[in-house]
Parts: sequence; C-alpha cells; structure tokens
Amino acid sequence: MTTSSDVITPGREAAASSGGRDPSLPLLIAGIVLMVISIGLLFTGSAADPARPFLGYLVAVTFWASILIGMLFLVMVWWLFDAGWSVIIRRQLEHFLAAFPVIGVVMVPLVALGVAGSDAVAWTWMNLDAEVAGAGVTVAEDVLYLHKAPYLNTTFFVLRFILIIGVWVGLAHLLRQWSFRMDETGDHKYVHWSRRLSALGMFVLAMVTTMASVDWFMSLNFHWFSTMFGVWFFSASMRAALSATVLVLFWQASRDDGTGLKGIVKPAHFYLIGCIMLAFTVFWAYISFSQYFLIYNANIPEETFWYNIREKNPDGALNSWWWVSMVLMFLHFFVPFIYLLFYKCKFGARLKFIAVWILAIHLLDIYFNVLPQKLPSDANILGYEVRQFIPGLTDVTVFLGVGALVLWAFVRSTRRHRPIPVRDPRIHESLTCHE
Amino acid sequence: MDTSNTASSPAARKPYGMLALFDSAPGIYEAARTVREAGYSRWDALTPFPVHGLDGAMGLGRSKVPVFVFIGGVIGFFVGMWLAWWMGYYNYPLIVGGKPYFSPIFPFPVAYELTILLAAFGALGGMFVCNRLPMHNHPVFNYEKFRHLTDDMFAVVIEAEDPLYDAEGTRTFLEELGPVEVTALYDDEEDDA
Repeated sequence: MTTSSDVITPGREAAASSGGRDPSLPLLIAGIVLMVISIGLLFTGSAADPARPFLGYLVAVTFWASILIGMLFLVMVWWLFDAGWSVIIRRQLEHFLAAFPVIGVVMVPLVALGVAGSDAVAWTWMNLDAEVAGAGVTVAEDVLYLHKAPYLNTTFFVLRFILIIGVWVGLAHLLRQWSFRMDETGDHKYVHWSRRLSALGMFVLAMVTTMASVDWFMSLNFHWFSTMFGVWFFSASMRAALSATVLVLFWQASRDDGTGLKGIVKPAHFYLIGCIMLAFTVFWAYISFSQYFLIYNANIPEETFWYNIREKNPDGALNSWWWVSMVLMFLHFFVPFIYLLFYKCKFGARLKFIAVWILAIHLLDIYFNVLPQKLPSDANILGYEVRQFIPGLTDVTVFLGVGALVLWAFVRSTRRHRPIPVRDPRIHESLTCHE
Repeated sequence: MDTSNTASSPAARKPYGMLALFDSAPGIYEAARTVREAGYSRWDALTPFPVHGLDGAMGLGRSKVPVFVFIGGVIGFFVGMWLAWWMGYYNYPLIVGGKPYFSPIFPFPVAYELTILLAAFGALGGMFVCNRLPMHNHPVFNYEKFRHLTDDMFAVVIEAEDPLYDAEGTRTFLEELGPVEVTALYDDEEDDA
C-alpha cells in the first residue's frame, strides 16, 4: 500500500476563510417552513380520497431517500472493491450521507399519523375498521390481511421503521466519520474499518432497504406481493444516485472557491460514472420487466390486479397509468439505453442532460409504483375506483422542502470537511484517473 | 523474377517497411507523436504492454467494433421476435396458457437472449474484421529482435505502402527520433509464393 501525503491543501481552513454568510442557513429555514406547511396539507384530502396528500408526501420523501440510499450503496461498493478512481467522488457522496437523519425526521409525521389511526393514512391496513375497496369487507375481516397480520401490524411496523432509519443513519455516520478522521490523522486503519463495515453492512443495508420498500410502498396494496419489489427499489435508487452524483460533480467541478473541485474532476470520472449509469439503466429495465413478466405469465388474480389498476379502470378503459407505463418503458429505458451506448454521450453537457432526464422520470417511476390504489366506490359493480395520476400540492411542497433540507445537510458538510480525502491511500489513483 | 536462391539479396526482396527500435515507453510515445505529425498514415507502434495515452499520441480514433455489436444485437432482437411470431402466430397457431398467439411480452426472453448472442458474435466478428484477422504471418516476425518487442523493447514500423514512404528519407527521419536502431523489413512470404 502506498503512503499518501497532502496532495492538495484547500479544506476547512480555505472554506472558513472564504468568509461570508453560511449559505446553508436559508436552505434550512426554507425546508422547515415548507415541511410545516406540508404537514398541515396532509389533512386536506377530499372525502372520496382522503389519503392523496399522504401519498404525495411519501412519493416526494422517497425521491430524495432513494438518492441517498443509492449513494450509500455506491460508497460501500467502492470500499468493498478498494476502488481507486472513485476516491474524490466518494467524498462528495459522503457529504450527502449527512442527510439521512433528515429522511428519518420527515418520515415521522407519516408513521405517527398511522399509529394515531387517521383516515388520511394511505397504509389502509393500519385501520382495521376501514373498508377493503372492492372486497366488501373490513380489513379486520379480510382473510388475506389476517394471514399477513403477524408482519403487517402497527407495533411491528414502528419497530421496523426505527430499525430501517437506525441502520441508514448508523452506516452513513460511521463511514463519514472514519473518512473524515483519516483526513486529520492519516491513519489507514480507517480504510480497513470501512471495508469491514461495508462487507457486513452491504447485507444489512440490502435487507433494511427491501424492508422499507415492502413496508412503505408494497403494503399500500397489501393483497399484493412481489419478491422483486425490493430489488426494483434498489435499482431505481442506484439510477437516481448516479444521476445526482453526475450533477453534483459538475457543480463542484465548476467552482474553485476552496470547496470546489475545478481541475480535479477529470473527464474520465464522468465517463466511468456514465458507464455505471448505462449498466443500471439495463438493470432497472431487467428487474422491472421481470416482475411484470412473471406476474403476466402466472396470471393469478391476487398478483395481476396490481398491474391491472395500472392499465385499466374498472370499466376496461385505459387510464392515466397506462400512459405513465409507456413513458417508463420508452423514455426511462429505451432512450437512456440507446443514448448512453454512445461514447461521446458520457461526457460534458450530454451526460448532464441524461442525468436530469433520468432523475425526472425516476420521480414518475416512484409515482407509478406508489400512487395507484383501489378506492372504495359505489359507482360500479366492482366497488372500486383507481386513483389516477394527478399531481397534488403536497407533492410539490414536500419535494421542495425535503430537497432543501437534504441540500442543507450537504452544503453544511462541504463547509466543515475537506472537499477530497487528502490522506486516502488511493487518492493519487483518483487524481490521475484515466480510461 | 528468377528461380535462383537470391533471398539474401535486398534488391530482389519486396520491402515491407522501416522499423525503429526504442528502449523506453516515453521514447515510443514521443516517436509516435512525431511520426503522426509528419503525416504518415500506414504505420504502427509495437509494445510489450499497453502504454497509456499511446493511442492518443498515434492519433487513433475509437474502435469500430461497437458498430458490429449494435447491428448484431438489433438483428438478434428482431429474429427472436420474428421466430415467436412465425411459429406461434403464422405457421402453427396454438393457444398456450391462455395467451395470445403473439404478443411482444412472452417471447421477450427469447429475443433478449438472441440479442445478447448475436451482439457477442458481432463483437467477435467485428474484432476479426477490424484487426484484419486471420493473419497467419506478419513481416515484422522476420525481425531478428522481434522477441524483445514482447518483453522489454518498443518499435515504430512505417510501411512501404505509405504514400510518404521513401527508403532513404524515412530511414533518416526515424534515426532523428533517437532509436536504438533502424532496420529495413522485407516481406519474404510473398517472395516465396
């Protein structure tokens, strides 16, 4: 192992001496104000669909949480493989990992509302007296619920919620602190600690992330089950995280004010990230299609209804989700896949373009997987309506609010710690990165 | 020309090109850049291991193999879909598992696997075409120090077919690059045939 030295000097001192106000403070204030408004908006659902603001809130939190989860996976994968090229990128992700407690905090109102037993909660199984749409029974009488009750009950749900957030925050905190301490002491024992933690943490993170996707999203239609759902959420998170990483790297590479990375990020870094983006575009399509394919082939009503409500209304007419699914197929897979095959599209403005594109449609992907539910209705003989794809006000306020808080945590971390891990043993490999 | 044993006479042999031998990676790197800037087009660099940046110094573009891969993949996808359509919908319609005679969904794994298979064939075939393989012999093998080019030496070879090639001029040009030695190579195989 090579020994390293301070390859560049800017860091906390330079950042602190650049003076001026703390730019992260307005983000914190904006985030808190927007989240307070959003919590108020949770109770503004219509009589026919009281849980719609709740789901908007969940979709928006999930968008930001998925970016952070993907970044945590990336950091741990890079530790596991002892990657050299990615060291300076890893530090940018470590700054982002500071935002995990934000996700825990903003999820608390949803969980609290579920425990309190409100109509505004979209996890319908939490309210045992609620009518199961289209089944003509309450949740407490529903035979499929009763079989799942040992797992799907509020107490166990809250315990799992604490475990999920605890693992995310804990892993992120340890990996951050060890990396920052290596900046100060230059002691390479932190490399070995991080690699060992990643080896174990990879399994734990995969399990709690699957648990989160089952608890928070799959249980919205608690009759339904898919063993691929957790992997879908992982693959979608990786795409979101890689796209966000590209945008952050461009922003960092455009500045040389002490916390920026102008001249340090090389075109090869973007090219290599672009290659992983291509791989995960294929992986996302593979997982999403496989889930559909298995359910289509088996053709069991218990499973197919989940896709049926995403295609047709009870009267058989194509609904808004059919259009969303077409967009996902062609614009979330086909276009980015063909685009990223080209060498020149993995650099500069072209890569920035597809990163924004993927992030935007990633949000639509979350809508598609979270929002549709059967709503009780007397309008037809089947006894349900499908919630359609119509954006709501809560979606916007939570999206901006959580976004502001996540960026606040990121900016705060960039001002407190060095922009690249100057004493990482592989920092030279990253600074001289080539294809 | 003649049937007597004149292979040792340079005048009777078909010239292949001029080889300059170098003993360091920076030497070959600089030499490659100079040869490119001089405007030669039919030439190559021989190294025992990949020298990073050498393709850039030589002015080489991206490989054309991806084009073959892409064409192979597209053909594979449509052949897979056509196969399922032709058998299940056209040639011998049969209801299986309550599914339609043809749909783009259930034959997808077939089309997908054929995409990969034919893309891989495209990669292999494209590599052969782009490298002009198979090539059972090469005039550079005649060079008596060839084994050094697989171990500790580097070389630049300018082919006689290059429009700028001129036996004396090219030799002088290469000698100015500071090589260990400059040698003329001959294409003996064609002469024997």
